[in-house]
Amino acid sequence: MRRDPSSSSIPDETITLVDALLAEQQSLTAVDKFSRSHDRHAEPVQTRYYRDLILLAKPGPGAQYAFEVDLDQCSGCKACVTACHSLNGLDEEETWRNVGLLHGGTFLKPVQRTVTTACHHCVDPACLNGCPVLAYEKDAVTGIVKHLDDQCIGCQYCVLKCPYDVPKYSERLGIVRKCDMCSSRLSAGEAPACVQACPNEAIRITVVDQASMSATYRESASATNLFLPGSPAPAYTVPTTRYRSAHALPESLAAADAQELHPQPAHTPLGFMLVLSQLSVGAFTLEQVLPQVVEYRAAPGLRPALGLAALGIGLLALGISTLHLGRPFGAWRAFLGLRRSWLSREIVVFGAFAGLALLHTGLLWFPPLQRTWLPDQLGWATVVTGWLGVFSSAMLYHDTQRAYWRLHSSGPKFMATATLLGAALALVLAVGTGSPSPLPASLALLVLFGTVAKLASEWPIFRHLQNEEFTPLHKTARLLEGRLGLMHRSRVALGLVGGILMPAVFALGMTSSRPAAPGSLLPFIHAALILLLSLGGELLERRLFFIAVQPVKMPGGIAA
Amino acid sequence: MTLPFPPSLLRQRDGPLTQELVLHPADFGLGQVPARLQPDATTNVVCGFCSTGCGLNVHLRDGHAINLTPTAEYPVNLGMACPKGWESLTPLASPDRAVTPLLRNARGELEPVDWDTALQVFTVRFKAIQDQHGPEAVAWLGTGQICTEELAFLGALGKFGMGMVHGDGNTRQCMATAVTAYKQSFGFDAPPFTYADFEESDVLVFVGSNLCIAHPILWQRVLRNRHQPEIIVIDPRRTETATAATRHYAIRPKSDLKLLYALAHILIQRGWIQRDYINQHTNGFDSFVGFVKEFAPEQVAADCGLSVEEINGLAESIHRGRRVSFWWTMGVNQGHEATRTTQALINLALMTGQIGRPGTGANSITGQCNAMGSRLFSNTTNLLGGHDFLNPDHRRKVATLLGIDLQRIPDRNSLAYDQILEGIERGQIKGLWVVATNPAHSWIHQEGCRDLLARLDFLVVQDMYANTETARQGHLVLPSAGWGEKEGTFINSERRIGLVKKVARAPGQALSDFSIFRLVAQYWGCGEIFKDWTSPEAVFQIMKRLSRGQPCDISGIRDYRMLDECGGIQWPWAGQAADGPGFPVSSSEYRHPGFGLPPETMNPELGTRSPELPPVERRLFADGVFFHPDGRARFLFEAPMDVGEPADAAFPFVLLTGRGTSAQWHTQTRTGKSAVLRQHYPEGIYVEIHPTDAQRLGVKANSNVVVASRRGALEARAFVTPSVQPGQIFIPMHYEATNRLTLARFDPYSRQPSYKACAVSVRPLE
Repeated sequence: MRRDPSSSSIPDETITLVDALLAEQQSLTAVDKFSRSHDRHAEPVQTRYYRDLILLAKPGPGAQYAFEVDLDQCSGCKACVTACHSLNGLDEEETWRNVGLLHGGTFLKPVQRTVTTACHHCVDPACLNGCPVLAYEKDAVTGIVKHLDDQCIGCQYCVLKCPYDVPKYSERLGIVRKCDMCSSRLSAGEAPACVQACPNEAIRITVVDQASMSATYRESASATNLFLPGSPAPAYTVPTTRYRSAHALPESLAAADAQELHPQPAHTPLGFMLVLSQLSVGAFTLEQVLPQVVEYRAAPGLRPALGLAALGIGLLALGISTLHLGRPFGAWRAFLGLRRSWLSREIVVFGAFAGLALLHTGLLWFPPLQRTWLPDQLGWATVVTGWLGVFSSAMLYHDTQRAYWRLHSSGPKFMATATLLGAALALVLAVGTGSPSPLPASLALLVLFGTVAKLASEWPIFRHLQNEEFTPLHKTARLLEGRLGLMHRSRVALGLVGGILMPAVFALGMTSSRPAAPGSLLPFIHAALILLLSLGGELLERRLFFIAVQPVKMPGGIAA
Repeated sequence: MTLPFPPSLLRQRDGPLTQELVLHPADFGLGQVPARLQPDATTNVVCGFCSTGCGLNVHLRDGHAINLTPTAEYPVNLGMACPKGWESLTPLASPDRAVTPLLRNARGELEPVDWDTALQVFTVRFKAIQDQHGPEAVAWLGTGQICTEELAFLGALGKFGMGMVHGDGNTRQCMATAVTAYKQSFGFDAPPFTYADFEESDVLVFVGSNLCIAHPILWQRVLRNRHQPEIIVIDPRRTETATAATRHYAIRPKSDLKLLYALAHILIQRGWIQRDYINQHTNGFDSFVGFVKEFAPEQVAADCGLSVEEINGLAESIHRGRRVSFWWTMGVNQGHEATRTTQALINLALMTGQIGRPGTGANSITGQCNAMGSRLFSNTTNLLGGHDFLNPDHRRKVATLLGIDLQRIPDRNSLAYDQILEGIERGQIKGLWVVATNPAHSWIHQEGCRDLLARLDFLVVQDMYANTETARQGHLVLPSAGWGEKEGTFINSERRIGLVKKVARAPGQALSDFSIFRLVAQYWGCGEIFKDWTSPEAVFQIMKRLSRGQPCDISGIRDYRMLDECGGIQWPWAGQAADGPGFPVSSSEYRHPGFGLPPETMNPELGTRSPELPPVERRLFADGVFFHPDGRARFLFEAPMDVGEPADAAFPFVLLTGRGTSAQWHTQTRTGKSAVLRQHYPEGIYVEIHPTDAQRLGVKANSNVVVASRRGALEARAFVTPSVQPGQIFIPMHYEATNRLTLARFDPYSRQPSYKACAVSVRPLE
């Protein structure tokens, strides 16, 4: 970086001054030059401020620790969020606490309250109940809901289950992490980071009685939200945080982001897993059902082909689902949560389905074995297990309490997907194996009817556009109509063309007076297009299923 | 029953992921922290964001900052910090840092060059401009964000070394009004209070101050008040502070002067004044009595948007208080008649005798971390050390103390910020040196400012970041080290001088502003003048000499180490002599849990604070003697003026601007660099609008609207809320587009821009 001094009018020593100052800039002097504030072994100096904000005694039986927030003291400064972030060593983007805004009241007396919120350490924690590997535990003494980071497989089901958006997924680590009320600090008589940091003493630790909280939230007939206006109904998990205010908060208080549409993560592997597993179950079902209703022998290759394709797709679905896991190698522990977790059940049931399907398909391909085994019973067992898996899938989304994912809505969708895609696959293979009429035409009609049922099942959400209230379903409908409109219209177009128009033409062509020439590839291409377009439509629909769902959440800030 | 395998096979309770967050008892009084954040030393550094001046306990490993917590014993913040303070270290590590000097090349792009090239170009270009157009054709725009020693160096270098006449700072945008008002009323720019006053008042009146958001730690001090205080907020918006107050007066924008005169009217009418105090310590009261006769509450109520009863009630609250304090921030300072409004507050304090005692005062809460340092030592409005350029004795004194030729000290005042920009427009100013500020974002009527910056022959921008709106317009960008990467002092709102330390390495070739000034002096050829200005602490010693005998005398502060050990020291401190006549201070009876008090929290070397050390909290004017030659304060007043641009049919809304959240700082060059802070505020620009206005205009909640003024337009999300009044809208100042709308109007005395009143229209975006 030196210039030739001779070409410069500046004396040589200034160049060395640059170097000297650059070197000086890199030396750190604070420690050498100044006093240290504290001895190495000093007691926590912040104690004087938080001594009265925590409890040193452990909660008694039936009681637990809880956050208590004084809404009148909170000024929305968000020091609690940053303190939690810094003192717990969280990742750059990671926060375990958040501050939102409630506003409303009347024009003459407008009311606004900032709301600080972290984990509510619920009496009946949804995260814990949903975890397939028991990576959550509720401390028997303190009631603190803790997450076992090394047990977590990163399935993020707890993220879907928690109505308060508490567990945070870390891409870096492949697990979720969450607030544990700084239990380590509490046990040493230190306050949680947020309590330590609030300049207004708005957050403290108290003890609450679990039974009476459950009773208050679950047995109350009150229409008002006793937990906090503008927040999720507390009966689901019985959150223990208590929000206090000396003033009665008007019922009209709404979150500042209540009218904001929040597109959710697409969870692409899950979308593929759902659609492909349903396709597989539908195909196995047809593989079992068809011999009962149509003459099969004319195309002896269809059944094993359908079984093999269904097996391949089913295994692919399960394989893809592991892409969703942050730490897939721990997934074998997924049976641990069977007692409470629908995700656990789904994993176990589909695991069994895969095993049965493998055996069953093996028998289809090795007829000599069929004499000693019971292929039909095995086939039916595969089908029943598969449908149990589909039901578990529907239940695991139903169990998140998200309105758009309720069983009455997603159950029919999942069934229709299985039917129409199973039929489309069977159609392709029926044509490919030269199955005689009327099987292909019948399958095409089944695709058509399945698609009609499917599209019909996707329609009722738009009734919620009429609502004036920004309910989760209203917001879902607005997303589907607005920001996600192109994707939704594409999905409908694929359904109309691939699932209705083309199957209709196919069925008409098969029954027309001028069937395609024997050996022509056209019917096969036609059938394959039906499958591909329908599959594309279903995958798009499932993508929308994930993106458009609107969870309940704690009040957020101003949206912009 | 025993399992045939370890229980951890099924349930992994420990492991590397768990260990990452496990807390361990840390040393140094920190309590528990994660292992990777265990420090090997800690040290207190004053925060570099706002004027509150909190102490941050920086956790060091091998001398390098790895984390921080608010300093438990620092007398300002008592163990607390706002999110900006907590996140102070993050913006230092941003990839947007300027790491080499950048010079605009022939293709018009900024290109890295070495320091030698940069400094030669700097010198050659500015000298060429001065040769052609005279020394005045080069000016600087400084800041309240760098250390006092650096401000003094910049000011001395610019005026005494480089021959400039005009330099000003971004403090013009925040504090100029308080400076002017205090100088005129008290005889010196002397905010009289100490933060303990927040805790000792029984009536606190906040005018145009959203303390909860702008100064959260000062609000903490208010909440520590044990006197069940009446907290009165006068603000057009129902801000967070208004919500938390005991009473909120939602006045119409810019009607504060009339309201304050009406309050004076009532207090006089009812005899609720301190005649003795007025007689002994003030001038001009009788004409003030005559002046405010016209401001009966009945006359002003409609203009203020209040009822007569409300105004009377407010006067009664002031009367009832035993310790009444008046506080203001930008809602007052940034006004078209701001100096007089400030003085109307000062008048109220003077006439009721509410000054000089604990819990009283007419108190300006400053904006930037070192606005107060800039006020005394930036050599812009004042000659170094609170002296006067127009006073020959002062010039001689400073010339002697600095050992420079008297002729080097200009005998006239600088142009103010807006006048420097006008100078560019008139072609008188051709070269500009912008240091640690971002006018292309923050200056009022932004397009006008950007246009003027583009007309300069040579624009040098010295900043931590190469991508500020202003740096992008520069011809030469000089990379600065930031807070925490250098040493020096800041002065906070309560006159407390605190220490900044070097706890992080500056990236690349960034240099402290101090080092840059040393280099410029050398390259310019005036290094001889600054041969003693070798380190910040050396300059601090020079500043001590300059301050001796001034109201801001700091000659009793031994050195940086003393500042560090005392937890900052408020000016004046001339040693024990400072408590003698002429420098009256009243120590607070308020007891601190930390610095200055025994036993366990004291620095063991220091022991109990001895009499030669300054008390922890001190306020001015305990004896009612002010800094005018006659020792009296002045009542100053003037008929209210109309706002520059009233709302009309075409532009029917009044635009209010201000701080958005506590996580945002000014033009966001730093706070925008922290992922955590970014989560705390809306990413995009938004506008608060009242529900009735929204409904009338067909503006749906969260929909996009176009806000237009006569100068420009912007698109923003609508936040429909009754916290703004009908006919008014609010847009936070942190978003780049906001100042497209504002009107360049200034207080005639302080030249501070009036950011909070211009006419705009709102319509839904099609």
